[in-house]
Amino acid sequence: MDAVEQSEDQQTSAITGGIGALSLSSTDDPLTSQFGTLNDLCYELSSLQDLASRGSWRSILDKVARARKLSLLSKPHEHLTYLSYNVLALTKLRRFAEAAAELDSLDDGLDSSSYLYESYPHHYPNGSGSMVPFVLRWLHAELPSKLGKRQETLDRFYGLLDLVRTKLNDKLSKGASVSAGLWRKRQVFVINSIISHHLSHKEFSVCLDLMKDLISLRGDTEDQNPVLLSKLGYIQMQYGDLEGAKATFDKIEGLVKEKADDVEMKNLVSRNKALVYLVAKDYVSAVREYEECMERDASDVVAINNKALCLMYLRELSGSISVLESALERVPTVALNETLVVNLCSMYELAYVNHSDIKRTLSNWIARVAPDDFDTSCTRI
Amino acid sequence: MSSGRQVQHSLAFRVMRLCRPSFHSETPLRFDPCDLIAGEDLFDDAVAASNLPRLLSNHTLTSPKSTDSSDLTYRSRFLLHDPSDAIGLPGLLILPQAFGAIYLGETFCSYISINNSSNFEVREVVIKAEIQTERQRILLLDTSKSPVESIRAGGRYDFIVEHDVKELGAHTLVCTALYNDGDGERKYLPQFFKFIVANPLSVRTKVRVVKEMTFLEACIENHTKSNLYMDQVDFEPAPHWSATILKADGHHSEDSALDRDIFKPPVLIKSGGGIQNYLYQLKSSSQGSAPVKVEGSNILGKLQITWRTNLGEPGRLQTQQILGNPIARKEIDLQVVEVPSVIMLEKPFLVHLNLNNQTDRTLGPLRYGCPKVMLLRTRL
Repeated sequence: MDAVEQSEDQQTSAITGGIGALSLSSTDDPLTSQFGTLNDLCYELSSLQDLASRGSWRSILDKVARARKLSLLSKPHEHLTYLSYNVLALTKLRRFAEAAAELDSLDDGLDSSSYLYESYPHHYPNGSGSMVPFVLRWLHAELPSKLGKRQETLDRFYGLLDLVRTKLNDKLSKGASVSAGLWRKRQVFVINSIISHHLSHKEFSVCLDLMKDLISLRGDTEDQNPVLLSKLGYIQMQYGDLEGAKATFDKIEGLVKEKADDVEMKNLVSRNKALVYLVAKDYVSAVREYEECMERDASDVVAINNKALCLMYLRELSGSISVLESALERVPTVALNETLVVNLCSMYELAYVNHSDIKRTLSNWIARVAPDDFDTSCTRI
Repeated sequence: MSSGRQVQHSLAFRVMRLCRPSFHSETPLRFDPCDLIAGEDLFDDAVAASNLPRLLSNHTLTSPKSTDSSDLTYRSRFLLHDPSDAIGLPGLLILPQAFGAIYLGETFCSYISINNSSNFEVREVVIKAEIQTERQRILLLDTSKSPVESIRAGGRYDFIVEHDVKELGAHTLVCTALYNDGDGERKYLPQFFKFIVANPLSVRTKVRVVKEMTFLEACIENHTKSNLYMDQVDFEPAPHWSATILKADGHHSEDSALDRDIFKPPVLIKSGGGIQNYLYQLKSSSQGSAPVKVEGSNILGKLQITWRTNLGEPGRLQTQQILGNPIARKEIDLQVVEVPSVIMLEKPFLVHLNLNNQTDRTLGPLRYGCPKVMLLRTRL
């Protein structure tokens, strides 16, 4: 990235380019504020964000390439934002080596003074601090594991956790409460990412310790997050501690009783109950719980997927196939996920001697409907 | 899978091992929009901070509630809904994706589907499923008494079989179907699915006797490819023995203010060679009372082990009888009851001895004496 090497001409044109008040005035009039809308924050950011929401990651790559080629970006931070979307898009498309190469192209890494607001006083007269979008730091930590260097990723994430904690303390001491709130969320985000890596390597004791840390960050028992506690229950179930999982789910049910009207919470409790039935091999009761979830929320894809599995264990292979097929038809944007497709294809392989035809039909439908980042290898064709 | 040599079969068996499912887990690529749309320190600025709520109200920045089925974007693949979504454990279950390894003490469970892939109905189908091992043939399913009347063209007949695995080595699931095909010809279809059963654990024991107390050390080693959650490891003592498990002092992390219930540290033995040690103190209940000693070896009892893997998939084994040290049989028990504390040279003294015959037969004759050699050697 050559932000520092921008020519005098480009800098001047940026200042007089007429994109709102820019950096010349420090007015906080919302009509001319530089933070009012997404596009105020960054050139055509709204469009980038829209493409990302649709899963059109290839279009994002095109858009970034075009902006760079036609020099449409005028400010240093815009280059970084576009770079972030680019690296993210490459990662989403599983082009990990290219994503890592793009990150490596940043001069001196993410902590370089090239990426501080104060390095460009004519662009950001009162600005201070880092203009690096946090997602870049996260991707920098995550990418080595996608390239087979798992230990490097863990080292980077633990290092990132340190950095986040330092920043958080700094913001708290400066009294920047909004920023501190964001850094607090980033702390949780990084710990969660670390847990996901230890989970994928079945390092359950470490996961439990980290979950304990997360839960105690929240403090008061009444203030606990039922969704987070449910993950603890799933971890306990995954390694086989059924009693521990049940105790956790009971605790969650107690917490949720107050939020009686929240469909999401009701379904969470029902799905947890269904799991307890499932591990006791009472598949009929599990199906009943999942059906209640689906009545409250027809796009509860976890309930749909898990109900289909229960039907299989009840010897109803046809029933399980139709539950998954109908979900894909009714609510494709929620139901189309790789796990559900893997399950459906396993069922096809069992139900049909010549299963390649039906899998091809599914695969063709997916090609028409799926977002760019959908991993088609899950159909095992 | 085997098929008939020149026989064209209308039916075919499809088999899938149905052990318990697992939770799908992977690091998601889902983010908080604030981490993407702006520099990480931008909101240090008071003006920027005050605009944050308005920025976030943009519809593309909030992950939709799942109840909003009119939303047709893939935002939920890109944005975090709850912060804990970043753990990547949505609670979605996934079917077993491979046959996997199977171990002694587990339950073999399988979904078996017999498919009619021909264009004709087949009739009078007698289906049998058996497990064949080196030692025996175990029948799991037999429809001879009430054959399946018909399986239509393109149809299926499904069943689930379960078998507790109690032998090591090669096992074969033999599925056979005897049926009338579309031409009325009676055909026989055998299919064979082989698997090997391995030993999941090894248990090494040591018995030590320290000052009349017997201790049993047991070391369990995990030879499987999964971590094993030790649900129960119980020592069942033989008659006349009682056992108490000895545990080390608790780790400091157990004394936290948080609920002990949900954070009881699990006993998890790591895959591929991990070990866990157990220590039991054993007491013979026949100590003190009239003893009935068994000649030769001493049976202490056995260990009952129950472990669990994904979603509580259980396995159970018990060890063979664990033997203690053979009891030294003493026929005569001689105890000194009283000896004077001061003995004067060349003056006689009184010694009180107790002699017990511990056998159930008369022993004798008793001879006693003090060898002169010993007296001369006595020093004061």
